Amino acid sequence: MHWEDIINNFWFLMGGLWMTIKLASVAIAGSMLVGVVFGIARHTKFPVISWIATAYIEFVRSIPLILFIVFVHYGFLPNLLKIQTNFFLSSAVALIIFTAAYIAEIVRGGLKSIERGHIEAARSIGLNYFQMMTYVVLPLGLSRMTPALVSQFIALIKDTSLASVIGLIELTRAGEIVYGRTFHEFEILLFIVMVYFIICYSLSLLSRKLEYNTKHRPREAPSELKLSA
Amino acid sequence: MSGLKLTVFISVVSCVLALVIGVVAALSRLSNNKVPRYIATGYVEFFRNTPLLVQLYIYYKGLTNIGINLEPIVCGILALTLYTGAYITEIVRAGIQSIAREQFEAANALGLSAFQTMKLIILPQAIRIIIPPLGSQFINLTKNSSLVSFITVTDVFYVVYNGAVDDFRFLEYFIVGCLIYMCLTGIIAMFVNVFEYYLRIPGRT
Repeated sequence: MHWEDIINNFWFLMGGLWMTIKLASVAIAGSMLVGVVFGIARHTKFPVISWIATAYIEFVRSIPLILFIVFVHYGFLPNLLKIQTNFFLSSAVALIIFTAAYIAEIVRGGLKSIERGHIEAARSIGLNYFQMMTYVVLPLGLSRMTPALVSQFIALIKDTSLASVIGLIELTRAGEIVYGRTFHEFEILLFIVMVYFIICYSLSLLSRKLEYNTKHRPREAPSELKLSA
Repeated sequence: MSGLKLTVFISVVSCVLALVIGVVAALSRLSNNKVPRYIATGYVEFFRNTPLLVQLYIYYKGLTNIGINLEPIVCGILALTLYTGAYITEIVRAGIQSIAREQFEAANALGLSAFQTMKLIILPQAIRIIIPPLGSQFINLTKNSSLVSFITVTDVFYVVYNGAVDDFRFLEYFIVGCLIYMCLTGIIAMFVNVFEYYLRIPGRT
């Protein structure tokens, strides 16, 4: 066993971790924005808008993320949109496109769970649609969606490892570089897995705590049973 | 097309194995005995909170490094099975726990053993709740199987990606890849719906 490799390359690996965190934060922020927009769009009663949103969501959800990452990087951004791209930009765009579809479904579920009474009350005190959404429906819905959203963010953090495939030096890629030099794959990979595990597990403990806080609400199906995957 | 065959093969095999692991681990998570419960919980938490790609690399590169050589395709099936199995464990557990306590008590009062309770009372009810999320897990499994191309298994993604690189026609190959995966996931969704229809409780919609 050659554990000294980890100590010798510790700061290089932590640099990779920093890139993972940066990518994950950008992707979380972006996919939240896009996801909420598409979630509301799918929820509205205007047929064309909701069809477009539905088509987007169903399309993205039936295709592997890796297809998006590779083709956003090599095809979509440079060839179709003529944008000079870099590894970070393409992986962020691909992750946002992908995760936004899942978040849109979570948002739609949250919006559906709002009782009609709230909406009627908001309308009757004279709020317009936008005000109703920002002051009444979204705050209520978002608090209900939190556990599902956090588990989606965990999935996103795990998915950032796929950005290593196109060459972004995040945690997984940093590890690959290190064991490419030292040939001690097992130790390095084990270390990387533990780092991912610590991040994701602490997030999932957090989400469980949030779920626990909302336990006094009327009984509903556990989050594992909702069709969110 | 040979890529498609491989993707379907890997998905089906891992799907069956993951289901077996999932049910076994879910029952051990719910058991009163501490040892299997802790093992199953550790398994679920670990595999759900680490990226599949890194798990694949561990089996493929890491194990080779310490002297265990596995075929790439075996690594792929192993990784997908363990990863999906962890998710299925949670689904099955949640399904069993969603059955009301009174059902367990009633079964107990009728003198059924623990095994009979599970087989005759709990699982028939739980399975109807479990099927939709299980189906979406199988769809995820099929999508995740595209990652095995990074350990040199020539599945659909591998063929599409290498074709795109060779001919430098990314858009066309992207569309082909999308269509193939959409067909695969569509077929799984259809199967799930048919299965759900056959298991429906007559008189209920």
